[in-house]
Amino acid sequence: MNVRLSAALVASIAVACAAGAAQANDTPAQSAARKVLADLAPQARIDAVETAPMPGFQQVIVGGQLIYVSDDGKYVMQGKLFDTGARRDLTGARLAVDVKKKLDAVSQAKRIVFAPAGKPQYKITVFTDLDCGYCRKLHSQIAAYNQRGIEVDYLFFPRAGIGSASYDKAVSVWCAKDRKAAFTAAKAGQTPPALKCDNPVADEFALGGQVGVDGTPAIYSADGHKVGGYLDPDQMVAKLKSLATPTLAER
Amino acid sequence: MRFLFVAIGLLLGGTAVAATPDEVVQQAVRAFAPKAKIEAAQESPVPGFYEAIVGSEFIYVSKDGRYMLDGSAFDVANKRDLTQESRAKVRKVALDKVGPDKRIVFAPKAPLQARHTITVFTDVDCPFCRRFHEQIAAYNAKGIAVDYLFFPLSIHPGADKKAQAVWCSKDREGAFTSAMAGKDPGNATCPNPIAETADLAQSLGIGATPTIIGPDGVQIPNQVAMSPDALAAELDRQAAATAAKN
Repeated sequence: MNVRLSAALVASIAVACAAGAAQANDTPAQSAARKVLADLAPQARIDAVETAPMPGFQQVIVGGQLIYVSDDGKYVMQGKLFDTGARRDLTGARLAVDVKKKLDAVSQAKRIVFAPAGKPQYKITVFTDLDCGYCRKLHSQIAAYNQRGIEVDYLFFPRAGIGSASYDKAVSVWCAKDRKAAFTAAKAGQTPPALKCDNPVADEFALGGQVGVDGTPAIYSADGHKVGGYLDPDQMVAKLKSLATPTLAER
Repeated sequence: MRFLFVAIGLLLGGTAVAATPDEVVQQAVRAFAPKAKIEAAQESPVPGFYEAIVGSEFIYVSKDGRYMLDGSAFDVANKRDLTQESRAKVRKVALDKVGPDKRIVFAPKAPLQARHTITVFTDVDCPFCRRFHEQIAAYNAKGIAVDYLFFPLSIHPGADKKAQAVWCSKDREGAFTSAMAGKDPGNATCPNPIAETADLAQSLGIGATPTIIGPDGVQIPNQVAMSPDALAAELDRQAAATAAKN
């Protein structure tokens, strides 16, 4: 069981970048939390350490996850924390703020955008892999999402990593003269002519790791909530509507 | 008079503080799921939190009832998965209550001796359950006794009838092995514990087959359990860990 403790926790923390160094303005409890994370997942990049809503705990944002650490650094909790009075998912809400900030930092020029003709009602960011079945299925219905008022902004997340065949395809699509057409053709199974140019694919792949992408497609709402994986156009509208409800308890 | 007010104040204050874990958890959970059944609520090692079982899920509720965590708790200093340990305890207690008359037992035969006994929730129409049973002789040879409990899944229509036919066969073990090899077990019926063991699985939060549970109630990952060597090694490791604790 000993080994599995770390395994369960660490497996859930996307491993990326360098370990977070102690910060000068950390409280003792925050330093303790940082140390716990450094022991559990030495490679993980800590995005934030702050006081948790419940007394006696700090919360750490790492790899798109929220980990709660007791002030003495002895106990860790992981899961969804709810405010029972307000019936609010505090974990989801906090992570969404973090994800929104990170996604908003990606300029429109770095996205591949399929927008409805009129003003979109919803906007989703979709981390996608040109070779993933459900990603292809989603894109084959792109007109239907658009018709329902959903703008789909794609970011690349080649699951096999930088330098993989899917990565090369993503770069080729990005560098094509007609990017959107090349994207759609690749989604239909065509191999794009090999091209190279300055591109954001590696950055987007890294960003995916930071916001907790654990498979493709990984879909996020405009306010940073993780919508999940593939949903058909009607299910997507229903889900986005439900996410817009402020006191939602996602159970 | 003033004394009386103070006394009442103390009394009321005292009552509020003395709310039982059950009451605190009830109140907290009711906000989300009015009909949810609280199976248990108790102190937890995590400071400021009670641990509770709601339905088959483990949750943690802050002692003031304001916060509820749906997830897991770890004792990092001692590298213990507290939720998994609690779940294992509950499973062990529940499984210990299931008598041999409700199990299909494949134990090592003399001169082989059983060193470990595992419980396997199984379904005759589940491919991995079949693959597991193909190796039954190898498990027995490693000193592992396998107790099967039927848990026919609704995604396998007719699996419950097959389970019943196996249970009601004269040679129950033989019928089980041939059904696991894909043979039609016929359609015998008789009083049987299948609904009971299936309900038990669900009440323990088990949703898939095979689900393999070691002697201490700890679920063993299928990728380990599908290999007789790896399973024997894991059971030896668990037994050593338990012995060290006691």
